[in-house]
Amino acid sequence: MLKFIAKKLLLMIPMLIVISLIVYLGLKSTGVDPINSMIPPEVLSQNPELAEQMREELGYNDPVLIQYARWLGNIVRGDFGYTMKNEKIIDIVAARLPYTLELSAYAMLFSAVIGIGIGIISAIRQNGIVDYIGRVLAVLGQAVPQFLVGIILIWIFSIKLGIFPASNRVSPDATNAFVDAFMHLFLPVLTLTIGMVAVLMRYARNTMLDVLNSDYIKTARSKGIPEWKVYLKHGFRNAMKPVLVILMFRIPTLIGGSVVIESVFSYPGIGTTMTNAITNMDYNLVLVITLIIAAVMLICSFMVDVINALLDPRVRLGE
Amino acid sequence: MKKLLSLMLALSMMLALAACGGGGGNGGGGTPPASNPPAGSTGDQTPPPADGGGNGSGGVLRLALSTNDGSTKDDRVPTPWLNHNMATNLMWRCLLLADSSLTKTSPDLAEVTISDDGLTYTITMKDGLKWSDGEPLTADDVLWSIDAVMAATNKNSIYSAAFGKITEKSADGNVITLVLDSPYASMMDILAQFSILPKHSLESADPATIDTADFWKDPVTSGYYMMDEMSVGNYFTLKLNPNYEGTAPKIEKVTVSFVTDFLTAAQAGSADFLYGNASDLVSGMESLSNYQSIPVDVLFYKYFQFNMKGVDGNENEAMQNVEVRKALIKAIDRITLAGFYPTANVLNSGVPNSHEAYNGFEYEYNPEQAKADLVAAGYDMDRTLRICYYNNDQTSIDLINMVVYYLEQAGLKVEATLSNDGTTDLFTTRNYDMGFKGKSSFSMEEWYSEYMSTDALFANIFGGDTAFDDAIAKLASSTNDADKNAALAELQALEQEKVYKVPMFTVGNYVFVSNNVNMPAGVEFCNPLYTCDIDFANWTVA
Repeated sequence: MLKFIAKKLLLMIPMLIVISLIVYLGLKSTGVDPINSMIPPEVLSQNPELAEQMREELGYNDPVLIQYARWLGNIVRGDFGYTMKNEKIIDIVAARLPYTLELSAYAMLFSAVIGIGIGIISAIRQNGIVDYIGRVLAVLGQAVPQFLVGIILIWIFSIKLGIFPASNRVSPDATNAFVDAFMHLFLPVLTLTIGMVAVLMRYARNTMLDVLNSDYIKTARSKGIPEWKVYLKHGFRNAMKPVLVILMFRIPTLIGGSVVIESVFSYPGIGTTMTNAITNMDYNLVLVITLIIAAVMLICSFMVDVINALLDPRVRLGE
Repeated sequence: MKKLLSLMLALSMMLALAACGGGGGNGGGGTPPASNPPAGSTGDQTPPPADGGGNGSGGVLRLALSTNDGSTKDDRVPTPWLNHNMATNLMWRCLLLADSSLTKTSPDLAEVTISDDGLTYTITMKDGLKWSDGEPLTADDVLWSIDAVMAATNKNSIYSAAFGKITEKSADGNVITLVLDSPYASMMDILAQFSILPKHSLESADPATIDTADFWKDPVTSGYYMMDEMSVGNYFTLKLNPNYEGTAPKIEKVTVSFVTDFLTAAQAGSADFLYGNASDLVSGMESLSNYQSIPVDVLFYKYFQFNMKGVDGNENEAMQNVEVRKALIKAIDRITLAGFYPTANVLNSGVPNSHEAYNGFEYEYNPEQAKADLVAAGYDMDRTLRICYYNNDQTSIDLINMVVYYLEQAGLKVEATLSNDGTTDLFTTRNYDMGFKGKSSFSMEEWYSEYMSTDALFANIFGGDTAFDDAIAKLASSTNDADKNAALAELQALEQEKVYKVPMFTVGNYVFVSNNVNMPAGVEFCNPLYTCDIDFANWTVA
């Protein structure tokens, strides 16, 4: 098992390098000159040679692959570098990432509980009222874009009802930190949860249905095991394995999806930072955030592999 | 199953605990947002404030700063050397205090007298002035601020135009002497806009990038209020400055939230004071019964500029023929476009049509003639004309779409690009023919100062043309109406001959004040991007 884990971990390194190279080359190919953002036009008009001088000093005249190697070397040494406005990227990430992780964690927790719960009930009571409502909601949840859900929720709960704040993560005049956190997180978490519940609910329902139709369930029933025990001990347990895999794979999607949702709710996480970095053509920051999202994706993939290997030894043998 | 349930329960509890401690600090007492009345409602369906005060804001003035345009970041206070806003006006003082017209001044940090020849300014600082950290506010801070703003890149050009005239400056105790090379008519008005910043806190920062210094995360102030708390990405709060030597304001606390949309902030009841001129914002705000809309007459120019020639000598060949530039303007119906804004007045130069110095010239709208003129001028009609603009509000987007339509009707191929970084794209990247821009001008002088061959921004697209320099100098030094009008006449003739930039119209601005706020009678607002006396000390929040 240790060998399997080590192998998977080592495989992540070249994958991260390839991803970062693709992103680096992609950003370079946009043709945007970062020097333009670094030198204010007021300075340029006084010193037209400054742009070329800075380009030389910062190594922007070097071949792209050498620039990439230099950047990657710095990242490996823990030096995330500076934004175009000369701010330390590590400070920005340290301040913003916890907000996004918090948002994503809540969304994952609630969507898991709600999505799996409704999915299981829908499978057990197939073609019942919960199943019908669940299926309609699943279609709606997947069909309606998340940003639209967010805007509708703001309109209803913030503007019309005045219950929840429309933006930010903390209020300046909050008296109770827990209540304040709940109020600010409710709408963005609900928005992310709605989208994810739809996926999990359908998946949980389908896998549970497959399991309930399998031979060992029929065997269990024929042995006179109580129905609730059949559902929970034999059905639920076996149905959960693929659902957990889907759940794991949704984590990076949640973090990536927060790019849009955070902007809708003015939520000060890494998603808003990413949006602003793209808007301001801040290459360095975009690169680092993309790398973080890629790393989260790979770590989740690695965890899925490990969980699978733990649950099913054939996976290890296959490797 | 039990294990699974236990695990999920434990996870829930951990996340709940994380929520209690996460998200930065919180301010003191007051009202949570949930208790604020929703827009357009009477507020009676919302629960009362947590402190039981029974009012909308608990005695706290709630301001909002928009981060949507990219110029304001959500982790620091914006520099008052670029644009003013209500928050910075409450934090920093100037030597003089302007009235709502911005042209009449009274002493603030200092008294200022001018010599008969208009060349020597004697500034006498008040005694006992202190910064919010207790350090004395001295003449040294003023001299340092003047030097620093000249070196800063992110600033309002009115300061470089005015302070560039200073040839000598010295301080003797609390008396400062400034000597100019020629009279500058607006110097007193500029001194009433120029916020003095603390030398002791900022002198180690790089002057060029002073607006990004860490100082702005926890700044030292001179005004009514000082920094209380900064919550990155969320807000900052202000408390009374104990070292302010004048009468303390009645409002004891101010909160400033970073938002991406003013209208949503207002609809959600989280801002007491806003401003803007986009028609969607104005119509949205006017539909809210819990805000009063106050129109403010300002010189907010909306205009086209042509990308002519860089300081590096690179010319944009397609725009070199003045007949092409004139024909392009002739293809655009500016009167119809002015209808996109609630209050807009079409212009034909930097001088408003209603001003006595206006020379009567008008750009006509004639698409057929425009097409014929373009062909006659040898313009390649197969070439794609590139328009660059940066205002991302819906009104501006609609307006540019209409401009594209007009130009296409004249037989042109047109491509409009919404820039994310207008200053860089318009003045450094320069990948466009016509740029659409807005300028909240302090005065007509500011409009014309953009034609200066040495203007730090426009030299990048007008190639440092010196044709306007003498007339601009005459305007700057004119101390009576006759001289000023003569200079304006000369400048209008020049700009209508050169056609480097063409004004579309001026747009009136609006200030929106929540009904929670009680202002003393007679308060008049000035251009919200500048600072003036609004008798804030006597404001209260219901």
